[in-house]
Amino acid sequence: MTTPAVLSYLLRSINYRFAREAKQLNYRVVHYLNQFFGQVGGEDKADIPFVIKEGPIGPGVLLSQLLGDGIEVVGTIICGDNYFSNNPEESSLEALGHIEKFSPDLFIAGPAFEAGRYGVSCGAVCKRVSERLNIPAITGMYHENPGVDIYRSDAFIVETGNSAGKMKDDLAKIARLSKSLLYKEWADKFLTGDGVGSPEEYGYFSRGIVKNEYVSKTVATRMVDMLLHKLKGEEFNTELTLPKFESIELPAPINPKNSTIAVVSDGGLCRKGNDAGFSGRGNKVWTYYHIDEFFKDLGSRSNDDYQVVHTGYFSVNVIDNINRLVPIDVMREYESEGYIGNLLPIFISTSGNATVAKECQRMGQEMAEMLRINNVDGVILTST
Amino acid sequence: MKLQIETTNIKDVRKDEKTYINNGTLFVNVDNLKQLVLSDDRISSVDIEIFKPGDQVRIVNIMDTVQPRACVEKEESDFPGFVGPIKRAGNGVRKSLNNVYVITTNPETQRHYSAFTDMGGTASKFTKFAKSFNVCIAPHQAENVGETDFEFAVKRAGFVVAVALAEAAKDIEPDAIKVYDWSFEETFKIDPSLPRVAYYYQLYSPQHDNKGISDPCFYGTQINYLLPTIVHPNEILDGGIVGHTTYRALGTDAIQNHGVIEELYSRHGKDLCFCGVVCGVANLDPIQRNRKAMMASSLLKDFLCADGAVLTKIHGGMPHVDLALVAEECEKLGIKTTLTVQPLVSTGTLSATALFSSDILDAIVIVGATQEKLTINFKPQIIFGGTADSKIFNPDPFPQRAGDSIIVSEEFLIAGIHDHTGGAFISAKEY
Repeated sequence: MTTPAVLSYLLRSINYRFAREAKQLNYRVVHYLNQFFGQVGGEDKADIPFVIKEGPIGPGVLLSQLLGDGIEVVGTIICGDNYFSNNPEESSLEALGHIEKFSPDLFIAGPAFEAGRYGVSCGAVCKRVSERLNIPAITGMYHENPGVDIYRSDAFIVETGNSAGKMKDDLAKIARLSKSLLYKEWADKFLTGDGVGSPEEYGYFSRGIVKNEYVSKTVATRMVDMLLHKLKGEEFNTELTLPKFESIELPAPINPKNSTIAVVSDGGLCRKGNDAGFSGRGNKVWTYYHIDEFFKDLGSRSNDDYQVVHTGYFSVNVIDNINRLVPIDVMREYESEGYIGNLLPIFISTSGNATVAKECQRMGQEMAEMLRINNVDGVILTST
Repeated sequence: MKLQIETTNIKDVRKDEKTYINNGTLFVNVDNLKQLVLSDDRISSVDIEIFKPGDQVRIVNIMDTVQPRACVEKEESDFPGFVGPIKRAGNGVRKSLNNVYVITTNPETQRHYSAFTDMGGTASKFTKFAKSFNVCIAPHQAENVGETDFEFAVKRAGFVVAVALAEAAKDIEPDAIKVYDWSFEETFKIDPSLPRVAYYYQLYSPQHDNKGISDPCFYGTQINYLLPTIVHPNEILDGGIVGHTTYRALGTDAIQNHGVIEELYSRHGKDLCFCGVVCGVANLDPIQRNRKAMMASSLLKDFLCADGAVLTKIHGGMPHVDLALVAEECEKLGIKTTLTVQPLVSTGTLSATALFSSDILDAIVIVGATQEKLTINFKPQIIFGGTADSKIFNPDPFPQRAGDSIIVSEEFLIAGIHDHTGGAFISAKEY
């Protein structure tokens, strides 16, 4: 947006907010539809660029009624499925430009049901709106719509049927969620103050976040209640179900004498200044260092050359002598004695502290790939 | 053993020439408190301030938060091992004050992180210390005193002040009296149809020991070597066990009002028989850990005769695994268990946050995702326990200072929000 446009938008927003608060005007909603639901045409019109209309169109009319008094669908943005998916980055930005002109309090896209291109475009626009306008963005999709997995963290995706057959029910769900968000019905539930209704109650796909919330019973009461049910053989609801891990078949043992051994560590060791970019907690990156360079002149190097980025242990002993974490001194001895074939000239370093299993698995696979390419037969993995 | 806690509700706190209570107002002779603190020659000087609800203050470098409690009978020991001599805690009459806390800070701390709390701004909505009167102390280190020694002196100073404040209630009628009367023998005289429920209390982990030295949280002594042991529940309520120096959602005041112990006492004889407490420490070494799990479960089974057990953990990742091992050994002996966890991340599914896997542990309660980040808007008028430059911890590598008007903190570092004793009305869910 150009500067005058930005200023104009800001002024309108400010004026509008004061006006709304003074006169209690309606909450403003903008609705996004594809060419079909926007009543332009079918697949033959999938190439149409953006069409902007005032007020609700098509299913937006019913949506408007379901949203009730105090909430108004002030504008509808229509776009052809093909036009959008030809360049989703630009199209979603273009959509954002049209949407923000309406100064909305809430944005609704679709619902897209099972339509893949439509679902992805709904999700993409919702994502832009959430990030840039900081207002709730809601859409609706069938659980098999590819848009669900891609955008579930970026928007509230209400679960719908696979066709417009149950449109009224699906729109009712969207309307109900919209109202709870606009009226901030659950704001105080979360410790972080931005509470929303639960996915189960409002029928949307969970957005992949874990939130602390206030509940009516203390932890102690819940524990004792749960235990008493368990002791009586009654049903109870655990608050967390443990994951099932796949069991990995152990590879055949190797003879170290003719093997290449590598050292990998998750103790968070890096160069001073955190060249590796590790996070002290929940870290998701890994790196490698050339052993000769990293361990050069160890005796004469000061402690200032290294850093441990890992909040889960007291690392002073490691900084004092990094061989305690990455045992290169011993590995070198083994190599010269012929106890191992040879030591890989690089060691891999990461920081493993409260990182979720999925990320650990990904990093492990990436590391394994690098080690495999370097013909490594065995790994010493030092942990803390 | 019988512990009788006589509580006075405090509605106001004011400075005065004497320390006494009149009509719900606590009058405090601050100079007197200072002299008491300075009788420990490891402390060269001390700042003491009293803050009331509404004061726009940020209190940093917090080492402990303590509810004022004092023994009435001479034979009993206040905070044994710290203030009084090591004597078994949990028997006799205590005077206690509600709505007043002693907040112990160490302005010279060398630790990477400490707790802090806000009495104004965003965080004040969630912490209990924004609603209470806080007598805050900030001792300064004397020359030639080592860091660990000084930390002990600071922690002790907090207890000394807590006792002095509670002693003001000695001669007045309490507003409430609560009696904790429990003996192991008597548990066999309770209705035998009630299930026998015990508590396993993981009270410490060595992973964050500053300089590798354990916090003295059991009768004022270090316990990284402690084997699982049976304790009387009153010992926990009465200062035998105190909060960690690293704090981390476990101040002494939470232990003085221990969530699980209070719950089990309140249901004793009603829908369960509270048959005792085993406490233990988390172990870094797997052999010690296995030994501990074996010993703790057999204490629960063969010596407390438990049908079921609730188990809680302290903050940390490894403590999850450690506690789960104890629970599994209990289940193998036929003791049904429920245990607590804290998701350490705020993204993904709850299952994905689990740090252990088990086929037999199916009853889990979530204390909260204690490392959830809270964005705090607050420009404090006063900073106590440090300065505007005092570091506020952030696991990501950019610095924040106590004087910054916007800071981001993991919730467990904010004193007064989470509670590892199970006393908070909090859970975590997927959204």
